[in-house]
Amino acid sequence: MNYILPHTWSGSIQTVTIGATKQEGGTRSVSYEIGGDTDLPFMNRSGKKPLLAYEICDDTAIWPQVVRDAMPKGISDPASWAAYGEKTLKPDCIRLNLTSTRKPNSSDFASISATVQSVLAATTLPLIIEGSADPAVDSEVYIRCGEAGQGERLVLGTAEADRYRSVAAAAMAYDHIIIAQTPIDVNLAKQLNILLRETGIPDNRIIIDPYTGALGYGFEYTYSTMERIRFAALKGDDDLAMPMISAPADSLTVKEIRESDSPSEIAVSWERATAVASAIAGAAILVVRHPGTVLPLRTAIDALWEGSRREVSDGA
Amino acid sequence: MALKPLEIYKLLPKKNCKECGEQTCLSFAMKLAQGKADPASCPYLDSEAKAALSSQTGAPIAKITIGMGSRMITIGEETVFYRHDKTFYHEPAIIYRVVDTAPAEEITALAARIREEKITRIGIDLQVNGLAVDLGSGSLKQSVTAVTTANEGGDIPLVLQSEDPEILKACLAVCGNYNPLICAATEHNYRELCDLAKKYDAPLVVRAPDVEKIGALSKECMGLGIKKIVLDITGADSGEYLSRATLVRSLALTRTAPELGFPILLDCSGSVPDNIVTGIVKFASVLITPQLPVAEMTTALVLRQNIYTDPQKPIQMTPGLYRIGDPGPDSPVFMTVNFSLTFFTLQGYLEAARVPCFLLIVETEGMSVLTSVAAGKLNESVVAEWITKTSLADEVNEKKLIIPGYASPLSGRIEDATGWKVVVGPRDAADIGRFLTEEWK
Ligand code: B12
Ligand code: SF4
Repeated sequence: MNYILPHTWSGSIQTVTIGATKQEGGTRSVSYEIGGDTDLPFMNRSGKKPLLAYEICDDTAIWPQVVRDAMPKGISDPASWAAYGEKTLKPDCIRLNLTSTRKPNSSDFASISATVQSVLAATTLPLIIEGSADPAVDSEVYIRCGEAGQGERLVLGTAEADRYRSVAAAAMAYDHIIIAQTPIDVNLAKQLNILLRETGIPDNRIIIDPYTGALGYGFEYTYSTMERIRFAALKGDDDLAMPMISAPADSLTVKEIRESDSPSEIAVSWERATAVASAIAGAAILVVRHPGTVLPLRTAIDALWEGSRREVSDGA
Repeated sequence: MALKPLEIYKLLPKKNCKECGEQTCLSFAMKLAQGKADPASCPYLDSEAKAALSSQTGAPIAKITIGMGSRMITIGEETVFYRHDKTFYHEPAIIYRVVDTAPAEEITALAARIREEKITRIGIDLQVNGLAVDLGSGSLKQSVTAVTTANEGGDIPLVLQSEDPEILKACLAVCGNYNPLICAATEHNYRELCDLAKKYDAPLVVRAPDVEKIGALSKECMGLGIKKIVLDITGADSGEYLSRATLVRSLALTRTAPELGFPILLDCSGSVPDNIVTGIVKFASVLITPQLPVAEMTTALVLRQNIYTDPQKPIQMTPGLYRIGDPGPDSPVFMTVNFSLTFFTLQGYLEAARVPCFLLIVETEGMSVLTSVAAGKLNESVVAEWITKTSLADEVNEKKLIIPGYASPLSGRIEDATGWKVVVGPRDAADIGRFLTEEWK
């Protein structure tokens, strides 16, 4: 008997291109097309392999302690941090989190432009930028980012239901991609995509961030929401057919890590497992912060998609 | 394809005699359709109807147990593809593997680790479930000694890993009455192994190079009267496993291939720990792994707990007045929501602060602080209601309530609605110790 999967799909995931090479008007060494999948994630080795982004920031004050402790010595600015990341960890992209904008009354917009430019100069990989979280400064911050990265097809985040206009405007004006984040809910994700579309953003410039709750503290909701978004897309719902991004940053500040004797070990394990599970649920971009997570996560993703089998010593 | 309640009803005797335990034949039909009843409960079914119903009702994935006593593992009985469709019922068993050439002390120590090691989250103990003995030494004596050591105490569920009927026979003579999982039948040995499985009424793993062959072998074993089957669909890597598991689960749930309606085994010895994550989120019921470092073990246990939580109802506390330590009329009163995770996180920090106190839990339908504030489930009237219901005012001298930092927008309204003085506590429960020493009183 020949077994055949009892379901077929009518929809597929929207393709989105991130980064721009010289030929494409940017300066990146590579650009990626994500999305395009026509089946459940990894089914019969179909679809695209998720991209791995290593995340850095411009002010480590609010960065998880366990990540700060694991930072290589001698890195004092985002540019050298990004360069280190690219060379040593070999991710597919860099995400720059503009944590400096989270300070009360932050207004040093000139240095935002400078930071973005310096990071672009220090790396050859496509850049994702996580901008401000405050409507009061959003507009300035996103315009600076958009401008500094003109031609590079940045991924700009984050649009939320009550503050999406500034980031949408910057993405439109400078031809960038936008991340649409909603708190773990299919319907809210759908609504926000519709709102963004109304501002003129085409579907192939939107990436859904369904919000990644911490493992042990809400991750199960995220996991199911991602599965539902993917399922809806395959069933033909165009409003949910954009590729997804998952950033398990919340998983790095949980009690289990804070109270552990070997926090780094558990942080890597926690972050990696969350990212792998998100990939299986459908995430096209996985963002991680702990430098120790990148390589094992790469191995895990390869085992899901490329069929490379990792040799492990038998712990028994 | 699954039968609808009315189609089932047509096959029933329509006596409405209640002997099946249901009020009517129709309600029995409904239960059958949901996989929640056994056709054998109706004594009046003719054999034709019985055969038709047995293949079309009951859980689409068989329920199987491994081991005995308090640590017995129950797997299978799953009814959905996505956890959001309803819920996943039986968590995958995580089984540590040991080779039979390992020194006896090592085997004993590993069994002890499985017996004793646990992490407690939201009031629930999470543990690794059993021990797999890889009988690969080729020496009968060695294998039997190892299994005897592993089975000391008889409490830890065992998996016997060998394809050699002679070795399995000898080892089952030692532990067969403890319901071990026999692992595995192949196209070469399945007749002998089916005999052994029947003799001890033990569950049997079937193993073959691809899903078609696994199905064919499973059918053969079913034909020999075996009902407790586990399918080893491991494959070369997590990607192949994922595709196979998706296929098997889909065909089982749609009852397209009854020979695949059994729990799945994933051997993670080849690709730890990525495979563990894949197995936990995608349909594995038995995960065989090398002994895990504490960090990896904790991650696996917590991920498993997350994925197997019922999505329709978060684990909740009963609202009411709780006491930490032995509080008196001058002790502080804290307020929080009835989400278990919130309660247990908070409780840990309150206990660590070593200040006896009251903890008022109000009904927020199992939502966390921020979520229930955002959803309007935590509000001044709920707080007022539970202050009254618990007669909180009779417990303390001063009407003063410490609320979570994240609930600070509600402080004024709570004061107005309750007449209690509200103190806004820290956002993070980890700061409660500091708050009590520095800011309280
Ligand atoms: C999982 C989750 C959900 C789950 C629900 C989980 C649950 N059972 O509550 C789901 C998916 C259902 C959900 C839904 C919603 N959510 Co929600 N959710 C989360 C998430 C990821 C984690 C929440 C959690 O479990 N925290 C863990 C528990 C232990 O935290 P806690 O209860 O707050 O307890 C801590 C402290 O408050 C403190 N504490 C607790 N009690 C007390 C008492 C005292 C006295 C003191 C001093 C301290 C203290 O100690 C604990 C440990 O530090 C958060 C994001 C985040 N990072 O927090 C968003 C989040 C809370 N959700 C949010 C929103 C907006 C929603 C929705 C309104 C969206 C929607 N879908 O419509 C809905 C509301 C529900 C509804 N309408 O039905 C927002 C809230 C925004 C805001 N600032 O108000 C958040 C912050 C996400 C975001 N960034 O946008 N959510
Ligand atoms: S035992 Fe059989 S005949 Fe009697 S009520 Fe139940 S289904 Fe009907």
